[in-house]
Parts: sequence; C-alpha cells; structure tokens
Amino acid sequence: MTQERFLELADAHGGTVARWPAAEREAAATLMAAAPDFAQRVLAGADQLDGVLDAWAPFSVSHALNRAVIDGAPTIHPRRSLRTWLLGAGVGAGLAGASAAGLAFGVALSGNLASTTDAPEAVSAAMTGYDDLFETSEGA
Amino acid sequence: MDSDPDEELLVRVARGDPAAVRALTARKLPRLLALAGRMLGEVSEAEDVAQEAMIRAWRQAPAWTPGVARFDTWLHRVTLNLCYDRLRRRREIPTETPPEQVDQGPAPDRGLEAADVGRRVAKAMATLPDRQREAVALCHYQDLTNIEAAAIMGVSVEALESLLSRGRRALRLALSDLMAP
Repeated sequence: MTQERFLELADAHGGTVARWPAAEREAAATLMAAAPDFAQRVLAGADQLDGVLDAWAPFSVSHALNRAVIDGAPTIHPRRSLRTWLLGAGVGAGLAGASAAGLAFGVALSGNLASTTDAPEAVSAAMTGYDDLFETSEGA
Repeated sequence: MDSDPDEELLVRVARGDPAAVRALTARKLPRLLALAGRMLGEVSEAEDVAQEAMIRAWRQAPAWTPGVARFDTWLHRVTLNLCYDRLRRRREIPTETPPEQVDQGPAPDRGLEAADVGRRVAKAMATLPDRQREAVALCHYQDLTNIEAAAIMGVSVEALESLLSRGRRALRLALSDLMAP
C-alpha cells in the first residue's frame, strides 16, 4: 500500500484501521510497520475528527416509542383471546360469582373479624389471578 | 451471504411470538432511531420514521425470504427511504423556522461541553449533501462495513469511499476549531 492510499483510507474511514475495508487492513498494517511515524500522524489526525463526531449522541428510545412499536406488531395474545372467549361463554361471570360467594362465605365464617376487602375488589383480585394463569413467558 | 443473524427472530415474529417482537424491537429500534436522527436531525420526525420502519418490518416478517438480502440491510434501506421522503417534503414545503435541531441535553456522564460539541456536529451534518450525510451516518455512526453501506446505498464501494471522503472533509472544515491544529 502506498502512503497516498493510506491517507485516502484514513480520510474516508477514520483513524481506526479496524473499521477500514477488510481487504485493505493487512496492507495497511504492513505500511504502519514500515512507516510508523507517518501512519501515526495520519491516524491521529483522522482520530480527532472521529472523536468530535462521536460527541453527537443518538436520540434515546422513549418508553412511548418502544410501546407504540411493540403494540404495532401483529402478535397473538393468548391471554386476551382466551379471556374474551371465556367471558363470552359465561365462564367469567361464573368465576366472578364464585369469587364473590367465596368471599361472602369467608366473611360469614370470620364473624366478628372486620374485613377490609370489599366484594368488587375480591372479584378483581380473582380475575387478576385468573389472568396470570394465561400470562405468556416474556423473556427475550 | 453469511447467515442472517435476524432470521430466527423473524420466523418467530411471523408466528406472532411476543417475546420475539420485543427482542427484535430492542435490537433494531435504537439503531433505526439513531439513523433517522442523523439524517433528519429532529427527534419527533426521527421517531415517526423509526416507528414506521418497524411497522413495515412486522408486515414484512411473514413474507421474508431468507438468503436474498440481510434483514438489517433491508430495514436500513426502508428507514433511509422514509427519511428521504421527509427531506423531500421539507424542500417542497419550506418552513419559516428550520426544524428543531438535536437537543441531547447533557446526560449525567456528559458535560455541557460535550452537548455543545454534539450540537455543532449535528449542525455540520445537516449542511452536508444528503448522500454524503447518508454515507457518514452508515459508516461512522451505524458502524456498518463499506460493503454493507454500499449495498444499502446502492453504490459501488469506490463511490461510497468518495462520498465518505468528501463528507468527512467538509465536516473537518466546519468543525476545525474543535480540533487541535
């Protein structure tokens, strides 16, 4: 590789030879060994520009953007579809009724114990637990 | 062509696997947003472009044919096309006020000085001709090889090198006061 070519590559690709075209790196290394002062001077000059360019940090992905992109994907939601189906089939109402009945039974048994949980909350808790049965594994 | 590192995820995305959707989003969205940001210099436009590119990826996943092109190359090309649509619209409808320039805001690990330099770089990049800016964005910022960048731009590696040289020379000139003599 000529010194002129070495200069051209540094001009175009910057001061890190590892980022130069793969086909040119070996010849560049040979030139660096043969003319270290020249090579160092050229690479240091290109490095300076690289360093300045790197000060422009990219935008970060906001939570809202991330959410919008994921929500835009045509994924299958087994939890939602199964739940919808079950509710449509009346099973949800049955479960809610069973939860409420269970709560009422528990309160009646406890007698003088004050309960801080009302029926709607219990139904909601029951449904949440029910939902969890259908949570899909979300590890990436 | 080497095997496509995104292929397995794409197959799962096409099957509607939510974990694959999240994984591919985590892998691609920051890079697409960065690329759109370098090309457009404005956050809300860059976000719109990155989101649209990802939506197109979801649509493309079931029809993706392995071995024809790398998915990442295709996605970069889609993003750049969307950027060029925006740039064209900007030229057709000139606005009184230029688009809001990049405002990184000093992050905890970056001083105010770095943020100022960043703004200067953004401004200098915005003055480059589109194709030179694209070449610098792909090679320097996206860290793509010359072969990958040339494929995305649809030019030879020699033409890419010429665009890069001219772009970097213009940037050096514009930012010379920030560099030691």
